[in-house]
Amino acid sequence: MKNKTQTLPLLFFLLFFNHVHSWKKEEFRTCHQTPFCKRARSRTSSTSTPLIATDVTISDGNLIAKLVAKSKQEETQQNTNPLLLSLSVYQNGVVRVTIDEDHSLNPPKSRFHVPDVVVSEFQSTKLWLQRVTQETLDGDDSPSSVVYVSDGFDAVLRHDPFEVFVRDKSNGNTRVVSMNSHGLFDFEQLKVKGEGDDWGESFRSHHDKRPYGPQSISFDVTFHGADFVYGIPEHATSLALKPTKGPGVEESEPYRLFNLDVFEYIHDSPFGLYGSVPFMLSHGKQRGSSGFFWLNAAEMQIDVLGSGWDAENGISKLPKNRVDTLWMSEAGVVDAFFFVGPTPKDVLKQYTSVTGMPAMPQLFSTAYHQCRWNYRDEEDVEHVDSKFDEFDIPYDVLWLDIEHTDGKKYFTWDNVLFPNPEEMQRKIAAKGRHMVTIVDPHIKRDNSFPLHKEATEKGYYVKDSSGNDYDGWCWPGSSSYLDMLSPEIRSWWGDKFSYQNYVGSTPSLYIWNDMNEPSVFNGPEVTMPRDALHIGGVEHREVHNAYGYYFHMATSEGLVKRGDGKDRPFVLSRALFAGTQRYGAIWTGDNTAEWDHLRVSVPMVLTLGLAGVSFSGADVGGFFGNPEPELLVRWYQLGAFYPFFRAHAHHDTKRREPWLFGERNTELIRDAIHVRYALLPYYYTLFREANTTGVPVMRPLWMEFPSEEATFSNDEAFMIGNSLLVQGIYTERAKQTSVYLPGKESWYDFRTGNVYKGEATHKLAVTEESIPVFMRAGTIITRKDRFRRSSTQMTNDPYTLVIALNSSQAAEGELYIDDGSSFNFLQGAYIHRRFIFKDGKLTSLDLAPASNGNARYPVNTVIERIILLGHASGSKNALVEPSNQKVDVELAPFWVQRKNSPAVMTIRKPNVRVTDDWTIKIL
Amino acid sequence: MMKLRMGTGVVVISTALLFLCLPFCSSSVPNDPFFGIAPQDEKYYKSSDVIRCNDGSGKFTRAQLNDDFCDCPDGTDEPGTSACPGGKFYCHNAGHVPTSLFSSRVNDGICDCCDGTDEYDGKVTCPNTCWEAGKVARDKLKKKIATYQDGVKLRKEEIEKAKSALDKDKVELLKLKKEESTLKEIVQQLKEHKEEIEKEEEKERLRKEKEEKEKKEAEEKANEEKSAATGEEAGHTNEAGKHSDAKDYAADETKYEQSDVGDSYDGATDSPSSEGSPLNEVEESVKGAEGEHAAKSETDLRVEEKKSSEEIINTGNDASENTEGLSKEELGQLVASRWTGQKGGKQSGEAEDAKKTEEQEDLTSESNNEEYEGYASETDDDRNRYDGEDETEDDFREDERDDVSSSYKPDADFEGEPDLSDVVTTDSPSWLTKIQRTVRKLFKAVNFFETPLNQTDAARVRKEYDELSSKLSKLQSRVSSLTQKLKHDFGPEGEFYSFYDRCFESKQNKYTYKVCPYDQASQEEGYSTTRLGRWDKFEDSYKVMAFSNGDRCWNGPDRSMKVRMRCGLKNEITDVDEPSRCEYVALLSTPALCKEEKLKELQHKLDSLNSQQPEKHDEL
Repeated sequence: MKNKTQTLPLLFFLLFFNHVHSWKKEEFRTCHQTPFCKRARSRTSSTSTPLIATDVTISDGNLIAKLVAKSKQEETQQNTNPLLLSLSVYQNGVVRVTIDEDHSLNPPKSRFHVPDVVVSEFQSTKLWLQRVTQETLDGDDSPSSVVYVSDGFDAVLRHDPFEVFVRDKSNGNTRVVSMNSHGLFDFEQLKVKGEGDDWGESFRSHHDKRPYGPQSISFDVTFHGADFVYGIPEHATSLALKPTKGPGVEESEPYRLFNLDVFEYIHDSPFGLYGSVPFMLSHGKQRGSSGFFWLNAAEMQIDVLGSGWDAENGISKLPKNRVDTLWMSEAGVVDAFFFVGPTPKDVLKQYTSVTGMPAMPQLFSTAYHQCRWNYRDEEDVEHVDSKFDEFDIPYDVLWLDIEHTDGKKYFTWDNVLFPNPEEMQRKIAAKGRHMVTIVDPHIKRDNSFPLHKEATEKGYYVKDSSGNDYDGWCWPGSSSYLDMLSPEIRSWWGDKFSYQNYVGSTPSLYIWNDMNEPSVFNGPEVTMPRDALHIGGVEHREVHNAYGYYFHMATSEGLVKRGDGKDRPFVLSRALFAGTQRYGAIWTGDNTAEWDHLRVSVPMVLTLGLAGVSFSGADVGGFFGNPEPELLVRWYQLGAFYPFFRAHAHHDTKRREPWLFGERNTELIRDAIHVRYALLPYYYTLFREANTTGVPVMRPLWMEFPSEEATFSNDEAFMIGNSLLVQGIYTERAKQTSVYLPGKESWYDFRTGNVYKGEATHKLAVTEESIPVFMRAGTIITRKDRFRRSSTQMTNDPYTLVIALNSSQAAEGELYIDDGSSFNFLQGAYIHRRFIFKDGKLTSLDLAPASNGNARYPVNTVIERIILLGHASGSKNALVEPSNQKVDVELAPFWVQRKNSPAVMTIRKPNVRVTDDWTIKIL
Repeated sequence: MMKLRMGTGVVVISTALLFLCLPFCSSSVPNDPFFGIAPQDEKYYKSSDVIRCNDGSGKFTRAQLNDDFCDCPDGTDEPGTSACPGGKFYCHNAGHVPTSLFSSRVNDGICDCCDGTDEYDGKVTCPNTCWEAGKVARDKLKKKIATYQDGVKLRKEEIEKAKSALDKDKVELLKLKKEESTLKEIVQQLKEHKEEIEKEEEKERLRKEKEEKEKKEAEEKANEEKSAATGEEAGHTNEAGKHSDAKDYAADETKYEQSDVGDSYDGATDSPSSEGSPLNEVEESVKGAEGEHAAKSETDLRVEEKKSSEEIINTGNDASENTEGLSKEELGQLVASRWTGQKGGKQSGEAEDAKKTEEQEDLTSESNNEEYEGYASETDDDRNRYDGEDETEDDFREDERDDVSSSYKPDADFEGEPDLSDVVTTDSPSWLTKIQRTVRKLFKAVNFFETPLNQTDAARVRKEYDELSSKLSKLQSRVSSLTQKLKHDFGPEGEFYSFYDRCFESKQNKYTYKVCPYDQASQEEGYSTTRLGRWDKFEDSYKVMAFSNGDRCWNGPDRSMKVRMRCGLKNEITDVDEPSRCEYVALLSTPALCKEEKLKELQHKLDSLNSQQPEKHDEL
């Protein structure tokens, strides 16, 4: 036997030597290999058991009903109990429907309801239902129950056949979003295991005991008046979700929602990646937007059905302009939310009223991040930091990946490579910069590691199916995983981030949570077995997609505690779930240095934004592989517009810090980063908008132009706020590109100030200097045109206002400012201005509510320059009121830092304070 | 208001700063309109009231100079503020060296100039540290100059030595070439004689054969049995020798394998080529692992396995990627290795290996050895070109031999050959003359027309031929190595001549780095050597030695190394670093870089530093 163990490494060696790195498709399940998915996908309306709603009443402000099989016979045949349905209505057009087994009938086990995702404030928006109206729908024999949602909408529970939908009263009572319109609803109830029942299931070498048998749920959801559906991240695929099934559709896998650490994922696949947000948004020219969210953390598979699909035979009976979808989940309950829209921004607002508003980020974290696996030691850190200064390139955060630790034990430092971590951080912090270290959820099983010892003693680890601490393999080798489902364990974990507990950490240090899908190298599909056990007997299968979310939550709350509730946390996570937006930023994981990956990063980040996760981005440059300098430059030019802007690289790649590719490329990358720094005030204002409305920073064009069909499937271009349109360049040596500029108003080239007509596709020459960016006529943005080492030194720097006038010589925009790091803005310590240009006069108005608390954010910052694009007159002066000062108007460079920047009309040194009310009149 | 500590005798900047706030203001404008301008540029600014932007993009008035608003994109109008991103700010730094900053450093809250002049908006107070910093800098500079002074001398000596050594080499080469041609002639003559003799011998042999044939035919029947028996015995001995050779080979190749593995090699000696056996062994272990798994698994598991193997075929994936049958730990390591690019047994955190189970440790060292053997066998191929050479040389010599183009052998090698010692060590041509005499004598002595040939004479000719032709080939190899050596670039003044055939070593943690100019750079850890690069060339005007095409990196490029050189009194490798994976850099201190021009430059710098010292401080 000795012989065998000795030759195995040789076998390993040969295997590695031969294999080409690529996506290991066969290591992951297909729908066909996943029993619940296979069953649900092959079901038709005639093979499903029809259900009807009975015993409809109002109880505790909710509409309550029982779902039973249509014929008694079938009920006894199937040996199923009635299901309980509860429908409740919330402000702003949200309807919630839950369906579960009847607990009074003593099911074998209570099914898992995902806790801590729906925010507590949401409960307070509940409309206490008083009465239900009975109404018989056209063509029905039996009545339906109707409740009021809002002035424009009703929620309807159709009894027979069972269907739930929201209808638009103002539009002839047409359906908006409906569930079970095709009768595909199926709910596998828990059964007691009988003699000889073997529910076990194997995939590759892994066995899942499945002690509770099949427990999946599936149903169809229809979005009416919709042309496309979007959302349900995370997939590397197009923004508008392509049909996966139906007539004329090349049948593919359904969109899979199952958090997985996928090595070298491919750029166009419905395959599940690191995160799952079971929220879908529809949009159509006719009706606008609606949304549907299923709060369920088990594996989910979603089919988007091609136009003309029918539940029975593939021929359409319903009008077009609808999108049918099929939702399938392995376990859990139905906890579904219907969002009525009708605009895309309304749907975002409705969705984030349930799952929470995106957190207001630290200002520094909206600037540029420099990362690599790994900056090796303190000397390397110091060197990279100093090079940014040498080349006058701003950056705000330097990151340390796993190699900084002592043997992959998080919260520790390799004492050879990082002997003085505090001093290192202080040096970086002296330049106003910050650092981030990685802390992953796998804990090294090493008895000399206090964290492991404590977690073991307290019983804080996830258990395997036999009840022992689950032992998986990750970076440190043999590892266990904390059970983050438990609030107690999360709180304990959070305390580990205090300065006392995390030795070597300082206030300028923030955290990165990686591998939290969780990634388990020797687990089924590189993750944790589904029959692993969490507290309260919850099976991992039920909570899987939310594991990383709870870990992210625990870390983020830990950082809040660390700063005595005074410092906003910054935590980047790879895994995500519904609600992640409350805890930090997300990046799209281990992408590759290829043009296709640059291309797909745009729909990926847009989709994250549509799911509420506004603060997200892709690794600039691509994680795997070595980008050609041209690709790297293009990636910086695009990545500078991602809400989360970080460069990262695998440790096998060549160094690629911005100055390593010759003078010209350094210049181009510096310029790309400068553009981001110039736009930081605009970004910060947009982050605040996201924080109050849920509307993402980076938006699909149709979010701003909902009636322009040409934009519905465009995912090459995107909007930053309502003002900037960005078009990526996704090919090598591109000489020209086509850009569609939506809307009736014109657009100004953001580099030259040249005017382009709206509602037109423009063929543009492409230069190496930048990707095409346009500013929408009628908007005003704020810039800071002075560049410092980091955003920290820019705090007091003066602003530049850029006013892009529309055809009526008018424009509007906003500016939000606060201290950039504390929670004082919640007490009103902020400045929020609205700038309006009209009739040759610019006015600054206070948008902060008068009674927003006592806190103030005092600043003396001024506006040093006002640029007017598209102004007709050739005036030489402007008058500032109330100070009654005359200031010069002249032609000056659009961008002061760029050579040969075109001259544009500029108000020179108005020097008005951003905090004050004032007007500036062009004379 | 804020007081600035400024040196006297330099440009006097107002000690008070006023804030111009019209109508409201928080931005800072320096009081001195000429603030931040280098002394040599002042004239440009003072010459007129309307000043042109340096890049020709426009012009500005005196009032717009340093008014905290950028009028020239190149920053001409804002030398003293941060208004122009492209601008530069000049700090005088009296007592130290003046510096020019990016204007983004002005009033950013961080003290950049030692005189503190870059921060004047009152948000931070920057102490004037120029005197202290200057003193430190001057002391450092003085030390550097002292090093250079000695270094320049050393360098000169090196260059002198190199010159004479190079001349000597050239002379030697000329001499060797002459000897070579003489010796070649002699060998040629010997060859002709030898062939003559062989022709005679052949005739003789044929004749004898004929005689013998007749004789044989007569005796055939009587001798038949006896001759057959002798033949069999000879054949047997021969085979036994082969067998033991193969055994040695197997033992050599598997020095890390246990004896039971060795047994399997022994068994493999029957197979046509011994190279086939390790492959067979691997295939067997693959099968073994699968078989074991199949035996363990339940029926449905087997079905599943079958399915997935079908799938592998369907997706066109390499069957070798099948992870079935691996233990949980092996699977974990395998998947981890995709990201880390490290082999299964070698996990990323090396430091804590000690805490792993013994078995794991075995795996680790095992796979390291695999790697080592992997490229050791690669060099074996090269090695085969040198037939007859001893197989058991150490790594370093192996590698050296590897490099065909510079197969220079140290003199010691020649001295080790007793019959050639005089070839190299004596400077008189006597050995050649001696040979010529011997050969001439021999020719006289041998009578070609004598029949049958005198066997002793023939043997003498043959022996002489063998000896001399081997001498010739040694001589030729010496000529060729010397020629190769002289082809190398020893620097513009030959200052790197002494680097030839030398290695510089540095031990860092567990690694020993070895830089052998004109040959290779390597990293040694215990008994394993990794080649970081073969000698390539000098770069950056002889400041860098580049080694390229080293051992291939796992999942990465071929290793390479750049050795940056700086003036120092000893040849010494100081830092070795790997800033990018598999791209190494090292620092080498060497007198070869202590150039006189640089020394003059440093002295000039010191003079100017000294002259800038404010006298006031000298009294302190």
